[in-house]
Formats: sequence, C-alpha cells, structure tokens
Amino acid sequence: MRDELDRIISEQDEIMPSSGFVSSVMEAVRQESAAPKPIPFPWMRALPVFAALGLVLTMVIAGLVQVTRMPATAAQTWTLPPVVASAVHALAQANAGWIAFALLLTLLSTVFSIRLAGGKR
Amino acid sequence: MSAIEDLADVERVLAGDISAFEGIVRRRQGPLINMAYRFCNDRGRAEEMTQEAFLRAYRALASWRKDAAFSTWLFAVAANLYRSELKRMPAQNVALEDIAELMDTRSYHADFETEERDRAIRRAVMALPPKYRDAMILYYFHEMDVPAASKSLGVPEGTVKARFFRGREILRSKLPQLLEGPRLREA
Repeated sequence: MRDELDRIISEQDEIMPSSGFVSSVMEAVRQESAAPKPIPFPWMRALPVFAALGLVLTMVIAGLVQVTRMPATAAQTWTLPPVVASAVHALAQANAGWIAFALLLTLLSTVFSIRLAGGKR
Repeated sequence: MSAIEDLADVERVLAGDISAFEGIVRRRQGPLINMAYRFCNDRGRAEEMTQEAFLRAYRALASWRKDAAFSTWLFAVAANLYRSELKRMPAQNVALEDIAELMDTRSYHADFETEERDRAIRRAVMALPPKYRDAMILYYFHEMDVPAASKSLGVPEGTVKARFFRGREILRSKLPQLLEGPRLREA
C-alpha cells in the first residue's frame, strides 16, 4: 500500500531538458563517430615472440626445478642439456629475451592506458 | 509505438546513418535526465551525465540483443553510468544524522513547512548507503515497479525488494519524525 513516504519520494520535481540538449548530444555523437578507432594491439605479430617468451620461461623454470632436485655436489658441476643449451644460445643470439621484455612492457602499458581511458568514460 | 521507432532508429544507426540516433535522444532525453536528476539532484550535472549515457549507449548499440525492450536496455546502461559517476564524484550530500538534527531543531510539528520536510526526506534518501539509495531511487523512478527497477539495476527482484525495505528501515530509524508526524504514519 502506498504511504506518505512513497508519496514524498515519488513526487520529485520533474525537470525538462534544456533547449540545446539534443544538438549537444548529437554533436558529441558525431565527434565520437568521426574520431579514429584506437589502434589495436598487434596480437598476430606479437604471437611468435610471446611463444618464444613462453619457451624461455618454461626452460628457466625447468632448469631451476632440475637444480633444486640435484644433490649439492652435482649442482656444482651441472650444465644445461645440449638441446636446451643450443636453444638458449639461439634465443640469446636473436635477443629474444629483450624483444619479449619490450613486448611485455608494451602490452602492460597498452592495457594500463585502455583501463585509464575506460575509467574516464 | 516508441519501441518500434526505437528499433527502426537503432537499425538505421547500425547501418551507418548516425542522424537516426537523434530520434532516440529526442524520445528518451526526458526520462534519462530525470533519472540522472534523482541520482545527483543537480540539473547541470544531470544533463552532463545523460549526455554521457547517450554516448555510451551509442558506442554499445551493437550489443543490444533485442531480447529486452530498447528502453529497458538504455535505462540499464544509464543507471550503471550514473551509479559509477556518483561513486567517482559523490553528490553534495548531508549526512543522515545532520538531516535528523535539522528536522529536530526546526520544531517539526509546529512550523516545519511540508515542502521543506519533503525535501529533507529526499536528501535523506540521497544520503543512504549506495546500494539502498540506488534501489530506492530506481524503484520510485520506475513508478514503484520492482521488475523494472531490477532490470535497470541488474540485480534480481528479491534483491531490489530487500534493499528497498532496508533503505526504508534506515530512513525510519534515522528520522523517527517520519513516524511521528500524522501525515507520515503507516497506512
């Protein structure tokens, strides 16, 4: 049942939009549609480097696990398996680590800017 | 009729005719501005928030799935924006305790004008914790229609009812004058 509290809150003053409101909204809409679309992150181009980054990380983790499982004396004379060593060497030659690091930074800054821009909307 | 016009305009906008969006703005500006006004109690800010709501709706137009009325979707987009805007920049509110004090010191029973009292109660709604405030604002904006308020708020109807009744309880406990005044006694 409707009581006095309902009446008071329901009967709030109605306001009318100002005369230029529609044109102001349409101006903003036109600006929005004319604005260039944001440049998307180049996922396809970055994919091989992300794969390389994943591989490097996997190898580092695998290496660390291997080291922790080794007895102390064996760990002192431990070397990388030949396949892993050659892969690491090839990646080091191509500066894959730096490229992956740079891409990771780019990704993080892109995500951060998108979040900032999204928060303002 | 409006729903058919909305659908036709949305389809034209999605097909690339931006000017068709004007029809939507003309039909929906009144309700959206009044909804914003209930959230912020400031005419200028209500217009700014409404413009932003229309822009957001324009950007997200393709995501309207047509399983609900366009107006329902638009109100939900707008309510979501208004709530986050208030979180970002709260409206100039007075604390509930201060409103209660104000009503006490003005000798409510004798000469506290009805209009002023009503205004104080509306300000008290604005001073409620956000989840109760939002439920109350949308419930009354939708003319006490719980399903409509629930769709705008994006929560189940039971949640809207619970929040609404809790909001009223808080108002009654903070403003006991509500129950004392003859015009505000429960029916």
